[in-house]
Amino acid sequence: MKKILEVKNLSVESRESKKKILENISFEVDENSIYALVGPNGAGKSTLAYALMGAPRFRIIAGKIIFENKDITKTSIEKRAKMGIALAFQEPAYFENIRVKDFLKVGNKDISEKEIEKTLSLVGLDPKVFLNRKVNRQLSGGERKRIEFASIIAMKPKLMILDEPDSGLDIIIYREFYNILENIKRETKSSIILITHREEIGAICDKAGLLYKGKIIDEGDFRKVIREYCQIVNRKKICKGFKE
Amino acid sequence: MKIPEELLKSAKKYHYDTFLMQGVEIPHLCVEKSKILSSFCCPGLEISAKKYSQGVKIKIVVKKGVKIEKPVFLCFGVLGKNGKQIILPEITLEENSEAKILSFCTFPKARKVFHKMEAKIKLKKKTRLIYKEIHYHGDKFGTKIETDFKIFVGQESGFESKFVLDKGSVGKLKVNLRAQLEKESFCKVLNKVIGRGKKDEIEIYDKILLNGESSSSLNKLRGVMINGGRIFFKGETEVTKKAKNARGHIDCQEIVVGENSMVQSTPIIIVKNPEARVTHEASIGKINQKELETLMSRGLSEKEAIDFVIKGMIE
Ligand SMILES: Nc1ncnc2c1ncn2[C@@H]1O[C@H](COP(=O)(O)OP(=O)(O)OP(=O)(O)O)[C@@H](O)[C@H]1O
Ligand SMILES: [Mg+2]
Repeated sequence: MKKILEVKNLSVESRESKKKILENISFEVDENSIYALVGPNGAGKSTLAYALMGAPRFRIIAGKIIFENKDITKTSIEKRAKMGIALAFQEPAYFENIRVKDFLKVGNKDISEKEIEKTLSLVGLDPKVFLNRKVNRQLSGGERKRIEFASIIAMKPKLMILDEPDSGLDIIIYREFYNILENIKRETKSSIILITHREEIGAICDKAGLLYKGKIIDEGDFRKVIREYCQIVNRKKICKGFKE
Repeated sequence: MKIPEELLKSAKKYHYDTFLMQGVEIPHLCVEKSKILSSFCCPGLEISAKKYSQGVKIKIVVKKGVKIEKPVFLCFGVLGKNGKQIILPEITLEENSEAKILSFCTFPKARKVFHKMEAKIKLKKKTRLIYKEIHYHGDKFGTKIETDFKIFVGQESGFESKFVLDKGSVGKLKVNLRAQLEKESFCKVLNKVIGRGKKDEIEIYDKILLNGESSSSLNKLRGVMINGGRIFFKGETEVTKKAKNARGHIDCQEIVVGENSMVQSTPIIIVKNPEARVTHEASIGKINQKELETLMSRGLSEKEAIDFVIKGMIE
C-alpha cells in the first residue's frame, strides 16, 4: 500500500513554553484510508495535528514528516496547505466580519458558488441561511464545527486532518457524518486522519493509533487499539461494548 | 455634476458610485480649495456656499417634513501638491425631515496640504441624518487635517455618522466630534482608520452627551496602525442627570502591526443618572493568532492573512 504520510521519530515542543509535548512518534497513513487517532485528554492529539499541519506555535525538535515521499519537516504551514494538507481545528477560530462563503473561498479561490452551496448542504447546513452569515460568535458551536469541516472539504485536500470534528454535533448530523467521511474517501480518494473520542468510529476507519502521554503506544486494528486503551487507562466503563 | 477627473479617480478607489455622483439632478456641492466648482439643490433642500477670506461657508437646510431620497454629495478637495482649505458647513434638518449626506474629502497629491472643517449639525425634532465622510490623502503622508463636528440631536431624532480613512496614507489627522442627544434620540458614531507609516498620526476624540431620557448612543472605533505610526482614541460618553434610562456603548477594536506602531485608547464614562447605563469593550493589540493560524493553514501567507483579518475588521 502506498503511503501518503510517514511520520518518523517525531518530537515536538511548544515554541513559547519550550515544553516537550510529543516524543518519538512514528506512524504511517496509507493512501485513501482513514486513520483514527485516539487517546485521553491531554495526550497530545491536537498537538500532533498542529505539528503535521506545520503550525508555527510548535517546533519540531527531532524526527521527520514525509508527505507523498517529500520531506516536509521544514516546510511552512501555507506551503503544506498548498501541497494538499488541511486541518479542521478542534476549536475553530471566529471571524467577526467574514461571511461563510468567503471563509470557504480562503482555501480554494476557484471554488464556484454552486460548489460552496453543495459543500454546505453536505455538512447539513442550509446554504440559503448560511452562505451570507458571518463566521462570528453568533454561530452555535455545532454550526461553527460544520462550517470548519465544510471549509476543509472545499479545499479538496489530499490529506484531511480532522480534530474531533464529531464533537458537539447533534445526533442527526453525527450519524450522517460517518457516511460523509466514507463518501469523501471514496469519491476524492483523499486520506483522513481522524482524531476522535467516539467509539463508533471503528466502523469506518482502516487503522487506529493510540496516543498516550505524548507517545504512540499502540497501533493497528481499531478494536485492538481501544482494548489497549482501556487496559491502560483502566477504566472498564469505556470498554463496554467492545467485545472481542 | 461636473467633477474634476482627479477627484473622480480618488473616489473610485473607495468604490464610490461615481456614476451616480455625476448624474444629473444629484444634489451636491463640490469645492476645490476655496473655489466653488458646482452645486445643485432639489426641492426641499437648500444648499448655499459662500467664499470668504479664509475659505468657504456652507449652509445646508433640509426643509420641514421633507425626505431627500437621493444621497447629497459633498466633495471637498485640494487637488495640487500644496494648498489650504477651510470649510465651515452648517447643516440643519428641520422637523420631520430625513437625509443622507456623503461627504468625500480628497487630497490625492498632497505634499503640504492643510484642510480644516468645522461642521455644525442640527437635527430638529423627529429627524434622521446619515452622514458619511470618506477621506483620501494620497500616498505621500503630506496632509494635516482637522475636522470638528458639533452635533445636536433633537428629540426623537437619529444621527449616524461614519468617518472612513482606510486607503493610502493619513498624515496628521485630528477628528473631534461632540454630540448632544435629547430625549428618545440616538446616535451611532463610527470611525474606521488605517495608518500605514511612521508619519501617520491619528487623533480621534468623540464626546457624546446623553442629555435626554431614553437617549442612546453607540461609539465605535476600528483602527489599524502598521509600520510605526500612532493612533490616539478618546471615546467619552456622559449621561446627564436628566437622562433617565439612557444607554451608551463604546466599542474599540484596534490592531497594532510592526515595530514602533502605537495605539492608545481611552474610554471615559460619566454617568449621573442611576437609571442609565454605559458599557465599554475594547480589544487592542496584535492580530488574533488563532485567526492567523487558521488562514495560513488554508494556504495564505502571513501577510495575506494579516490583510484578510484587517479587511474583515474594517469592513
Ligand atoms: N502551547 C502549549 N504550551 C504548553 N503546553 C501545551 C501547549 N499546547 C498544549 N499543551 C499541553 O500539551 C498537552 C497535549 O495537549 P493537546 O491539546 O495536544 O491534547 P489532546 O490530546 O488534543 O487533548 P483533548 O482530547 O483534550 O483535545 C496538554 O497537556 C496541554 O496542556
Ligand atoms: Mg485536542
